[in-house]
Amino acid sequence: MTRPLFPALIPAAAAALLAAAFPSQAAAQATPRALAPGVEVEVDSPGAPVPGRIDETALRYYARIGDVARLEAEIARLKAIDPLWDPPADLFAPQAQPSGVDETPFWERLSAGRIAEARAAIAEQRVRTPGWQPSARLLEELDLAEATRRVRDASEANRWSEVVEAAAAEPRVLTCARLDTLWRTAEAYGRLGRTEDAFALYRTAVTTCPRAAERRDTLFKASAHLPPERVRDLAELGATANPAEGEDYAAVRGALAELEVGRTLARLGARGAEPAAADLARAEAAVLERRDADGALALGWFHQNRRRFAQALEWFGRANEWEPGERAAEGLVLAYAGLNRRAEALEAARPWRGTSRRVDQAVRAVERPAGTGGPAAPRGPSPLDRALAARDWSGCLDLIEAERRANRFTAALAQQRGWCLMELDRPTEAEAAFAQALALAPSAPPAERRRLTEGAEYGALQARLRQDDATGVVRDLPTSQLSEAQRRDLRAGALASQALRAYEEQRHRDALRLLDARRELEAEPRGLTLMRGWSLYALGRQNEALAVFEALDRRLSTADTREAVSVARRAIYRGE
Amino acid sequence: MPKPAVSIAVAALAALAAAGCGPGLRQDTGDRVPTTWSRIPAGEVPVLTGAGGMPAAVGARARTIGALYRSYVLVLENPTSLPGENRLSIDVEAVPDSVLGALTRPDRPFPVPLYTEERLRDTLEREFPGLDADIAPVAGRNRYGDYDYAVAGDATRRCVLAWQLIEDRTRVLPETLSAVRLEWRMCGRDVTAAALLAPFDRLTLTAAPDILDAGSYTPPPAAPLPLAPDR
Repeated sequence: MTRPLFPALIPAAAAALLAAAFPSQAAAQATPRALAPGVEVEVDSPGAPVPGRIDETALRYYARIGDVARLEAEIARLKAIDPLWDPPADLFAPQAQPSGVDETPFWERLSAGRIAEARAAIAEQRVRTPGWQPSARLLEELDLAEATRRVRDASEANRWSEVVEAAAAEPRVLTCARLDTLWRTAEAYGRLGRTEDAFALYRTAVTTCPRAAERRDTLFKASAHLPPERVRDLAELGATANPAEGEDYAAVRGALAELEVGRTLARLGARGAEPAAADLARAEAAVLERRDADGALALGWFHQNRRRFAQALEWFGRANEWEPGERAAEGLVLAYAGLNRRAEALEAARPWRGTSRRVDQAVRAVERPAGTGGPAAPRGPSPLDRALAARDWSGCLDLIEAERRANRFTAALAQQRGWCLMELDRPTEAEAAFAQALALAPSAPPAERRRLTEGAEYGALQARLRQDDATGVVRDLPTSQLSEAQRRDLRAGALASQALRAYEEQRHRDALRLLDARRELEAEPRGLTLMRGWSLYALGRQNEALAVFEALDRRLSTADTREAVSVARRAIYRGE
Repeated sequence: MPKPAVSIAVAALAALAAAGCGPGLRQDTGDRVPTTWSRIPAGEVPVLTGAGGMPAAVGARARTIGALYRSYVLVLENPTSLPGENRLSIDVEAVPDSVLGALTRPDRPFPVPLYTEERLRDTLEREFPGLDADIAPVAGRNRYGDYDYAVAGDATRRCVLAWQLIEDRTRVLPETLSAVRLEWRMCGRDVTAAALLAPFDRLTLTAAPDILDAGSYTPPPAAPLPLAPDR
């Protein structure tokens, strides 16, 4: 009986189920197989496993090398083939080689991902030992490893059609035993707009993978490529289908709730977002239950941007209680300012004054810039105060422009204009505004000149950092007239910029060195911590990278952190 | 030392050097990774912007990737209170001057095609947040050929994003240049899209002294036009 190396194209999902249910048939039917170009062997000759019996070759290999994770996966796979089968009692005992050829070197090459080498070594062995046949399991694993690599390579190069073709050519890789390959193929379907095919593969995972964590992670993966209602269908299936003994699938429903809350919180920041009351209530409840400071901040800004200052104050207060930080303090200052409770706003800012640009800037919304409204201005928040409290940066520019046209332009207003331009991502114009503030500072009242000069110089250097001019900032910093806190802030910004540069140039040790130096100056933002993890990963320090990613994921689980955890775990599993 | 051992040692050192991972060596990405942006005088951006209609320059910067790519950004005054900088971006791609240069050509700093529908949608959302944007159904035309553009705006403010890839080496570009990519992002108050595009229509590239017009080019009027709903 002959058949081509790759089976005929079969619809991927159906084939995946078939392969999961009857892999022994697939292995037993295979007859001629390509080893190296021009070399074929018959696998159903003496020495090959007897059809109908379980092939324990791989199992014994994994037991011999002590690879517990793969051993467990292989036991699960063999039990799926024959539920009555049990691992042999002498699994860990040394075994005689029936054919006289020890397959260990081939398995070792296969495990190390050196597939071509393994095939070449097998061909060489056959020349040296005529009549010897490699085990069917070894050949099957070689085929699967090649297909897995084709899928992975195409996926990493974003060649989605190739991913689908590679998986369709070897649908046996689309099983729970090769979950990463299944996920990559489902992603490819999603990217190609073939949502139903993607759904079918994710469904295979959540209904056949025995572990709750695998089903939960599948849900997270699927959320990037399927509409919410299809993710809900998957969650329902994942929580109920084919339960394995001792597994608690509550985590699957928990993941769905987490995704839905995350989606609501992410939408809060969008312009004009007005989530359904039920979604908002669910998100608020989840944030309260988890004491999630980031979620509380998102809710705070959602209310603040709609001028619901009292509600914003509540959420910023909670964020500050759960995880005190400059972002929570900034929110508190602006919410108090919106409620015209200036004294409390300044009190909230006190621990961060002079050390946090965010808070200092928020304070400017409370301490009205000199010249805004003039000495005869009535008490209470000015239009500019209100614009700043509501983070209406365009409104800030319009109001300052009106002051300029009325010949009431001052150094303080020029400086405020610079900060508003920075918020609008216009750093080049911001630098010019700070230069204008510096030029106008000598005409300010003597008591304010020093503060205005420092502020303008600090703003100009921040604007240069945003224009990727870290080198120039580091050069000019020693001669600037800035306070120690401002120097530290700018130095931290320059180090972050240099670390990013080192990372892009694949100087990962430098990236870590610069990040370490930066962390001595101030707390590390999430983006830089993620970069730290990837630098460790690139240096082969996978366990440290995993620890960084997991810590980040525990604080706030995002698509990026989940992907990072998954990649690092896979690398450790593969022994990379 | 016997000869085979020398050969093996030399081969091993060569392999390590090529891999860039030996002790005391670092991975050389110098020709493949962009340099940081450096600030340059606006006059050093290789373009003549003509007289009327061009907003004042606020700053300029440049960077390179190896010997093949040089990129410039000319930041221009933005009279609106909208987010984002008005700018002219220019990427100049030179022709490699050696076989080695051709073989080690770094990735282009801009994608080709310049935009897919999806990427353009994301870009327009990022460039003009909160404004409705439409892709112009008819291409614009300047000295160097046709370009595409999108228009965004509200009652008083209007923005354009125009993009162009100049690759015509039979007439426009000299043999030293492989391509030039231009992007024009401009927002204004109480102006038409045509007025916002007029400086882009009129600009002259000076990246090489012998860049020619595409032909049949008529400069548009320089003065801003009154506000109108369409171009």
